[in-house]
Order: sequence, then C-alpha cells, then structure tokens
Amino acid sequence: MSSPDAITLTGVEHAYGDVTAVGPIDLTVPEGEFLVLVGASGCGKSTLLRLIAGFEQPTTGTVRTGDTAPVPGRGAGMVFQQPRLLPWKTVGGNVELGLGYAGVADRRERVEELLAGVGLPGVSKRRTWQISGGQQQRVAIARALAVDNPLLLLDEPFAALDALTRERLQEDLRRVSAATGRTSVFVTHSVDEAVFLGSRVVVLTARPGRIALDLRIDLPRSGITPDELRGRPEYAALRSEIGHAVRAAAHLEGSPT
Amino acid sequence: MSTSVTTATAPPAAEPSIGGPPAGRRAPAPRGGRRRRILLRLLALAVLYALWEVAARVTRNPTFIPPPSAVWHQLVETSSTHDGRRGYSGHLLIEHLGVSLRRILVGSAIGIGAGLVLGVVMGSVAWIRVVVEPVVTFIRALPPLAYFSLFIIWFGIDETPKIWLLSIAAMPPVAVAAAAAVYSAPTALVEAARALGAGRRQVIRDVVLPSALPEIFTGIRLAVGVAYSSVVAAETINGVPGIGGMIRDAQRYSQTDVVVLGLFAIGLSGLLIDALLRTAENRLIPWRGRA
Repeated sequence: MSSPDAITLTGVEHAYGDVTAVGPIDLTVPEGEFLVLVGASGCGKSTLLRLIAGFEQPTTGTVRTGDTAPVPGRGAGMVFQQPRLLPWKTVGGNVELGLGYAGVADRRERVEELLAGVGLPGVSKRRTWQISGGQQQRVAIARALAVDNPLLLLDEPFAALDALTRERLQEDLRRVSAATGRTSVFVTHSVDEAVFLGSRVVVLTARPGRIALDLRIDLPRSGITPDELRGRPEYAALRSEIGHAVRAAAHLEGSPT
Repeated sequence: MSTSVTTATAPPAAEPSIGGPPAGRRAPAPRGGRRRRILLRLLALAVLYALWEVAARVTRNPTFIPPPSAVWHQLVETSSTHDGRRGYSGHLLIEHLGVSLRRILVGSAIGIGAGLVLGVVMGSVAWIRVVVEPVVTFIRALPPLAYFSLFIIWFGIDETPKIWLLSIAAMPPVAVAAAAAVYSAPTALVEAARALGAGRRQVIRDVVLPSALPEIFTGIRLAVGVAYSSVVAAETINGVPGIGGMIRDAQRYSQTDVVVLGLFAIGLSGLLIDALLRTAENRLIPWRGRA
C-alpha cells in the first residue's frame, strides 16, 4: 500500500497585489519525505511554505495538508529564520507552549526530553537571552517538534547562523529527522544544505516561482556520518547538478508578466 | 501638568542600570561612575540648600521665603502635639500625607485598571479605537481641575469626587500606552504562537499582553505622576485631612513654611513611589530591552 500524500498543491498561485510571487505550482509530498525547496532570494519559496503552513491563502488553486486546508498551528510545527522565542518565557516555557495549547499533561518531563533531543539538556530554566543564537534556534526546533504534528516546516532556519553552528545544526536536524521520520519541508538558498538534508530537492525559478527541477536524493538517511556522506561521489554530483539548476533558474523568469 | 512631582518627566537616561543576578545582563556602570553620580547629587542638594538659606536671609521676609530652619520647625510642630494642638488643622503631617496617598492609590488604581481594559480593547478592535481614541485624547487635554467642578456638582464634596478626579486623570496615559503597545504587538511572535496552535485568547495572553507590558508600565508611571499632581487640586475643596488641604489652609494664613513643608512631603513621597514602581518594573519585566 502506498503511503498517502501529506501535502498536495494543485495549480497554486499566490499574488501580492499585482505581483505574482508563486506559481502556478503542482506538487505532492508523500508522507515521510524531507523536501527541500531551493531558489534564489525573492523566488517565493518562503511564500510557498507560508501557504503550506496556512498563514497565506493561495490566490488560485488549492493547498491540502492531509485531507484539509492548512490552518496555522494544526498539523504542522514551524521553525522560522529567527528563533522567535518569547523572551518573557524561560527556555523550557517556550518549548512547553505547544504542549500547553494541545492540552498535554505532564509537560515538564517532555520538555526536558525535547531539549535533550536537540542537544540542550538542563537549560530549561534559563532565560532566552542567556543562550547563544545557535542554541536559541535549537530551542525553536524543539518547540516545533513538541507536539506530534505530522508536518515540520522550516523557513531558512540556519541562514542567520555562523558557518560552524550552521553545520552542526544541519547534522543534528538530519539525525533528529531520521529518528522521527516526520514529513518535512525545508526552505533554503544553500545548495549544500539542500543536498545534505533533503530526500528530495525542488528548485524554484525566479519570480514568479515555479518548479524548475524536481530531484530525488538517493543518499542514505541514517547510519552514515556527515563526513562520509559529504565525501561520497554522488553527493558532489548532486551538488553540482542542483547548483547548475539553481543558477540557471535564477535567471529564468517563471513566465513573462 | 508640568508640576508633576514624580520622575515621569525625568529623562530616561536617569534610569539606573538593572542590578540582579544572571549573566548576559547589561554591564553595571563602573563603581566610580556610580559614586560620582551620588556625590554630584549630594553636591547639587547642598548648593540648593545654601542658595535657599542665602535667599531667605537676604529677603528677610519669612512669608515670602521661609528659611530652612522654619520649615524644619514646622515639620516637628506638625508631627507632634503642642499646647493641646495636634499637628496641623487637627491632624499630624503623617496623617495628612497618609490620606493623600490613600486617595492617590485608590484613584490611580481605578484609573489604571480602567485604562488597561480600555487600552487593550482599543488596541485590538479597530472600530472601538476609531471611536474612543479622540475621547481619550480629549480627556487627556483637560486640566483635571476643569472637570473637578463637574464632579463636585455630581457627587458633593466628600471622597467620591476626589477619587473620580484622580481616576479620570490617571486613565488616559495607561489607555494610550496600552492601546499603542497592543496594536503594535510583534507579528513575528504572534505568528510563532499561532504556529504552535495558540488561539486568539492564548495569543493575547501569551504574546500581546506580555509584549505590551513595558509600555504599559511606562503608562502606569505616568498615570501615578498625573494622580500625584492632581491630588492637591482635588483637595482644595474639603481636603482636610490631606496634604492638599493642609497646603490650602496654610496658604489662607500665609504660613509659607507649612506650604513648603507640604510640597516637600508630596515631592519626596513621589520620588519614593516612583522608585518602588521602577523596582517592580525591573522585577516584572526582566526582558525589557532584550526582545
């Protein structure tokens, strides 16, 4: 039995005023897939993610997550480019938020577990400004993972971090993702990040963003160290192929407007 | 309103750096700087005191400028019973002050509560903001003494009109601050909460209100300042006991030293209350300036 689709986009277009930012796009994401959307800045990849999250409504076409139209906070955890932690809550309090809204009891232990899961044990009592930017983003990921949503949406979550921290977080996200197997959509402009994280990579054209390339990444998802992965010849080949596509797509208008 | 005695009008630079525990806090001012600031203030006080003394001696007219010693003497007189006379106008200074403070407390508490509710509603419901905003601005522009007459006609001359006066005077600063802060709640955080499954109420409770707290607190300090500067006006009619009533009586008998004593009582207690509010603020809003 084939697994059902977690996300279905049919003829989706989104315009801000007169400017079409995205589409038309048809895309289905099966359950368990880690989809990475790549494209130059301004290609509408973040808009696409916001459509999937339910923060925006398509101008035309339909978006479905599972069997329903997406509603923010239902069925999808989200990580933004900035950590967006609430400074009046402790680190633990931030992770606890979603659990509270979902009415989960015994939240304390779960919070500790989640923080340990992103490599931050024992920081739940700290204030959000007492931890580093990378740690804040880890907390944001733990917070988004807290409720067992079928979807995880990430909008350039590592773009604002320094290179070393970014690499660490990529590795940790890859591990966490392999462990949970949660359907994920990850937006980035980094080709390397796309190949490293994705089980499938979709390259978008310049505005209005359309699908320029849709590629399955056949690299092992687990049981391999990051260095081994990066050292594989397929890795380099995929990187180069996607890199070409991204550069070509950046100059390619989706349609004359 | 420029007579406001609290530091509501003081420049924000005068805010002491927040002390307290954890790392990552703004570095405290070097100790030398702090000591110098205290020294500077003491010096300024001494200079003022000397100027006052000199002015009193030069003018030789205690009704115009009473010497410091006379004011001190009145402090002792009004705080004790002499020749069967208890304090001033039958009440000790501390009683006058206590009654005034109680009025300020009750009045500004009501005003702050009302302003808070009004401001949050104004900040979140567009049409209410459109309707109510000019009204609040209108009230804010009125000198409290102007509508006091109305309250006297409506409520007589006892406590009720005084409390009303202070409540109405204290309401606008909080309402305006709360409305502005709620209206400009950070969309990024609102979105983050919604993405975690927060409903409308939870967004208000967990994001909108906490993010508005710093501005609301500034509004509260302003409100208490306005209540402070209005209490003397409120006590011009049937104000004994009360500092305003005491000053009023002293003015009638040209007891300038008592008037000055009353001013000191209000001003110093105002400083104290503002310091308390600021301490509360730093406790309640540790994230101020870090969001």
